[in-house]
Amino acid sequence: MDQLDLLQGTLDMLILKAVSLGPLHGYGVLLRIQQISKERLEIQQGSLYPALYRLEHQGWIESEWGESENKRKAKYYRLTAAGKRRLQSEVEKWNTMAGVIAGILDSKPEEV
Amino acid sequence: MRFRARLASWLRGIFLRSQGEREMTAEIEAHIEARANDLMRNGTNREEALRRARIEFGGVENFKEECREARGLAFFDSLLQDLRFALRMLRKSPGFTAVAVLTLALGIGANTAIFSVVYSVLLRPLPYPHPDQLVSMFETNPEKGVKQTGSSYVDFAEWQKQNRTFSFIAAAQRHDLTFTGNGEPAELDTVVVTSDYFPLLGVKPIAGRFFTAEENKKGAAPVVIISENLWRGRFGSDPEIVGHAITLDQRPFTVVGIMPAGFRSPFFNETQDIWIPLAQDPLFSGWLERPGGHWLPVIGRVKAGVSRAQAQADMDLVSANLAKMFPAEDTGWTVHLNSLQREIAGNARTPLLILLGAVGLVLLIACANIANLLLARATSRGREMALRQALGAERGRIVRQLLTESALLGVLGGVAGILAGYWSIRALIPLLPSQLSQMQSVSLDGWVLAFALLLSAAACMGFGLAPALLAAESDVEANLKEGAARSGQGGRGHRARRLLAASEMALAVILIAGAGLFLRSFASLTAVNPGFNVAHIVKAEISLPRFQYSSPQQWNAFAKELLEGIQAQPGLQDSALVIPVPMADGQINLAFTIPGAPPPAPGTPSSADYVSVSPGYFRVMGIPLLRGRIFNDSDEATSPRVAIISEGLAQFYFPNQDPIGREIGINFPPDKSVVRRIVGIVADVHDVSLHKAPGPMVYVPYAQQPFWGSPVVVKTTQSASAVAAAVRQVVRGIDPNLPVTEVASMPDVLASSVAEPRFRTWLLGLFGVVALILATVGIFGVISYSVSCRTQEFGVRIALGASRGMIGRMVLRESLLLAAAGLSGGVVAALALAQFLKSQLYGVGASDPLTFAGTVALLLGVALAASYLPARRATRVDPIVALRYE
Repeated sequence: MDQLDLLQGTLDMLILKAVSLGPLHGYGVLLRIQQISKERLEIQQGSLYPALYRLEHQGWIESEWGESENKRKAKYYRLTAAGKRRLQSEVEKWNTMAGVIAGILDSKPEEV
Repeated sequence: MRFRARLASWLRGIFLRSQGEREMTAEIEAHIEARANDLMRNGTNREEALRRARIEFGGVENFKEECREARGLAFFDSLLQDLRFALRMLRKSPGFTAVAVLTLALGIGANTAIFSVVYSVLLRPLPYPHPDQLVSMFETNPEKGVKQTGSSYVDFAEWQKQNRTFSFIAAAQRHDLTFTGNGEPAELDTVVVTSDYFPLLGVKPIAGRFFTAEENKKGAAPVVIISENLWRGRFGSDPEIVGHAITLDQRPFTVVGIMPAGFRSPFFNETQDIWIPLAQDPLFSGWLERPGGHWLPVIGRVKAGVSRAQAQADMDLVSANLAKMFPAEDTGWTVHLNSLQREIAGNARTPLLILLGAVGLVLLIACANIANLLLARATSRGREMALRQALGAERGRIVRQLLTESALLGVLGGVAGILAGYWSIRALIPLLPSQLSQMQSVSLDGWVLAFALLLSAAACMGFGLAPALLAAESDVEANLKEGAARSGQGGRGHRARRLLAASEMALAVILIAGAGLFLRSFASLTAVNPGFNVAHIVKAEISLPRFQYSSPQQWNAFAKELLEGIQAQPGLQDSALVIPVPMADGQINLAFTIPGAPPPAPGTPSSADYVSVSPGYFRVMGIPLLRGRIFNDSDEATSPRVAIISEGLAQFYFPNQDPIGREIGINFPPDKSVVRRIVGIVADVHDVSLHKAPGPMVYVPYAQQPFWGSPVVVKTTQSASAVAAAVRQVVRGIDPNLPVTEVASMPDVLASSVAEPRFRTWLLGLFGVVALILATVGIFGVISYSVSCRTQEFGVRIALGASRGMIGRMVLRESLLLAAAGLSGGVVAALALAQFLKSQLYGVGASDPLTFAGTVALLLGVALAASYLPARRATRVDPIVALRYE
């Protein structure tokens, strides 16, 4: 199956979601998103980091240096309380939007 | 929470910058490493895996930059970059930097120094608790034309009793006492106070206590409070001094307290050694019961919550009561309340504000000058800016970079200015007339510093913004084109520079005309003939302790012996006694009456300055006798009372009559009126100040009106110190316990009487010179720049046959037009502003044509001189070179 380009503005939400399942380092975030999406999403790896820094700057995630699975130093990101609320509202917004758009796209001539 | 996170990440970014960078690199490296490891699991070799991991990651540096931006660090990054670049630019043109920083330092330094004086004299609250409650309470009598004068002790005591709105009312006067014991006898600066004086001011002694009400009654045991300085100096910080007696005027006074060194009684001179209760002073204690005198300055502390108007209404009521109690003395007199701070600042207010205005103008000129310099740089850097824009720099970014440069200049100038201000304050203090600096120390404190910083910030905004905006508006394409940097400059940049140079000219006119007016005023002030000999006159004073020398007979005997002793010295034959010494000691102004004359028209002053002199006085001082005779040795204490009047008094009160032989009644000594026969008329003299016209004066023989002090004037070719030594020797022969004080030469006395106007004139003159230099630099800069831009044009003109004279005239005309525009604006503004100087000018009008014409001529000349060099350069343009220049 072909990989999909990420929709504009959704990377932040995906990162928040990935981190909400447990603390991750940058590469871990990438792996988790790919794993959950069954490798169908194409993410430019470098673009993760500006997004992570932006989310941290806004206080939605926080970071801490720790040790990775293969005993290397890695920076772990974790969701904050504010981030949790943010994720929730983003998900709600997304679902509403997806529902509306799906409704529009599903519409048939006789329904209009 | 979110704000905190953002702040934390900013702070990390700013202060842990290198750590943040390291972490970012480490994080990205770790990512690539982890990815490569995953790739290696599929069998790829490490090198290939790393290569692919890097490709997948993308442009590391790009993402790093995005990360920095995401953290909100871009602003600081570019700020740092701008700062580094600005520093490099300033270092690269040290001449420009030095001129700009020096100019700015001059402007800010001068402003800081003057503002610190203004602040300490006019703005800083008095160093007493609740200073806003403190008022001066002077008596006024509009009918008699008396504006502000002291009250009598009787009135003062009634105010204390009858008022309802004051928590304290107290009074103080000055009268120096002679201290003996502990070394040389000395005259101590003494402030004589009522018992509430210290509690009113709310101060505390460093040891002991203040005076009780009982101690301010006649007959109480004498007590004294001494200053910390006297205690440390004279008494070697003797811890036992409180409770012990010291000898003042040959009488023991028990020390009850010590005042801290910083304490000063308002209104009196800088050094204050001791304070005693009013009722214990040998002089003033004699005047306590007499209503109607005006010798006691009173201050009050209004109760908390009472407005000035309420207090004034209260005192109006009290004055009305007093007029009923003492109709003869108090009718027509009311009390005027004024803020104590304003009263102390007194006459210094207007001159200080004028100085502040002038120094502000200097700063404006300095800013205009720097703006001009920056504009010139900005326009000549047009290519650079255009290139930056072409390479993708935003306009805002370029404006910011130029602003950073000027802000850096501003900071450098501000720091240098504050240092300069600090030094010039120290230089100013000894120059300040003593009344200005007496109350509070003038220093560079927080407020002054804040003022200076604000000033430099405003200044660099002022001179930095315009060039920055102008440069950013430059046309990219035009600027990039070959040659545009040279010939395309006739536009907005150059217009702005001409405008700046013209305004510098206008501001310089205001300053120079102002300085010129003050200079002319000062010249006419010092040209005033005081009416007596000044050269070779030396004065000195010997005060007699009143308890030892208690009777007028003793004073007379002492004075006679003293004068004979001095006249016996070689070179001191021409000496005389006079009290008070004109221009040095103030005046004794007394009411007089002329028996048999019709009552004077309302508004005519019926008082005269009263002077007691020995017969030789008029000869020594060279005051001409106009009619009648001068005093002689037969005008003794026991002979008929006589007086000599001044020409002014004679003309005013005896119009078309012969005053010789007529009588004049004078209310002195205070408790009796003495009628004297007029025996002579002498010419008028200035006895109080040079700028005040001489008033009526009455001279009386010293033998008939001796005092407990004997000021002598000596006409001699010897120096003041030689005279002092000789007089000291004579005095020691009569009484070794008497100090000789107040030794000064008459020229010095006159000079110090105009110290304040001189100080002011010098400062304004200095500002004027600075303005002149800056304006010259401004004009020179603009004209020479314009010449260099037009080199090619001149070349063409010369090639087409223009004479070199024509070219020179063209340049001069440009400069003259510029100057004329500035001058006409400046003259209009200066004429308007000069009206504020009116009250401060003597002998010259505020729109003095000579001053203004001189100013215009000077500035025109300067403008011509400043454009001479550029004009000469223009005439020397070689057409071949100029044309090939392209």
